[in-house]
Amino acid sequence: MAQTSVDIEHKTDHIQHHFVDSDQQFESSKLGMWIFLVTEILFFGGLFAAYIVYRAWYPELYLEASTELNAFWGTVNTAVLIGSSLTVAMAIRSAQLNQIKGLIYNLYITIGLAIIFMVIKFFEYAEKLEKGIAPGAYYTYDGLEHEKANIFFSIYYMMTGLHGLHVVIGIGLMVWLVIKAKKKVFHSGYYTPVEITGLYWHLVDVIWIFLFPLLYLID
Amino acid sequence: MSGHHISSAKFLWGIGTALFILTFITVAVTWINIPDPWNVVVAIFIAVVKATIVALFFMNLWWDSQFNVMLLITSVVFFLLLVGITLLDTLYRSDPIPSF
Repeated sequence: MAQTSVDIEHKTDHIQHHFVDSDQQFESSKLGMWIFLVTEILFFGGLFAAYIVYRAWYPELYLEASTELNAFWGTVNTAVLIGSSLTVAMAIRSAQLNQIKGLIYNLYITIGLAIIFMVIKFFEYAEKLEKGIAPGAYYTYDGLEHEKANIFFSIYYMMTGLHGLHVVIGIGLMVWLVIKAKKKVFHSGYYTPVEITGLYWHLVDVIWIFLFPLLYLID
Repeated sequence: MSGHHISSAKFLWGIGTALFILTFITVAVTWINIPDPWNVVVAIFIAVVKATIVALFFMNLWWDSQFNVMLLITSVVFFLLLVGITLLDTLYRSDPIPSF
């Protein structure tokens, strides 16, 4: 009997005093996260708007400059991110079922996939910077004829760079989740941080789903 | 915690597989040179389908409060407003292309 009452106490100690119950707290956190994701969509939206305006002005520039991007590695990175979205969804499922080991394993796989994504991105950037394909005024490459080629790559670096920053932040959040999971903070009654980090991660995936065809697959 | 939707592992793998297949299709359609502007339309259409699948079944909007769905739709509407109003300017300038 004593064990049971301790268990019940454990199941409710995550509830903050200003919430009626666990469900209300969960729904409030999720609502807050969705509002944050709205600001994220509009944040990236500004860059997508810049992309669209310049593409309407210089359609031939985009066709020419995107040949410098390697569609194969872009495809690999798309698959890597979709795989990581799947493992995050599996991590949330594990948490919901009280399978903390499964939660930690799925988070490890997600972190691994996110690191693979960043390593591929690093080699893509390194290969371009080596050739002098740098953003804006630092552009020194002469393999493209279009005089505005630097503008395409400014947009490319801003969009993929901001996305990459989100991936790095995501890795940090996953590590934090692993640490919390190892401290046995999460159980089927409380996994809010896993859920909302998952929402963030899926949004990062969705943004890449748009970036990939818009940057890599134009030609 | 009774109200939370728990997807089966099989279902999540199904969604993941669908996304992999759609990624392959996005790449495959570039091999069959669809004429401009339809190549962009097809690419964006597939991306929207993929994003919708992720939002509904990975981000669980299918089972979630309608309010969160409304937030997402509103953000898309405001993004389209941003692009639309900007293009009304940049597409119809008498001196269209600035020095930048």
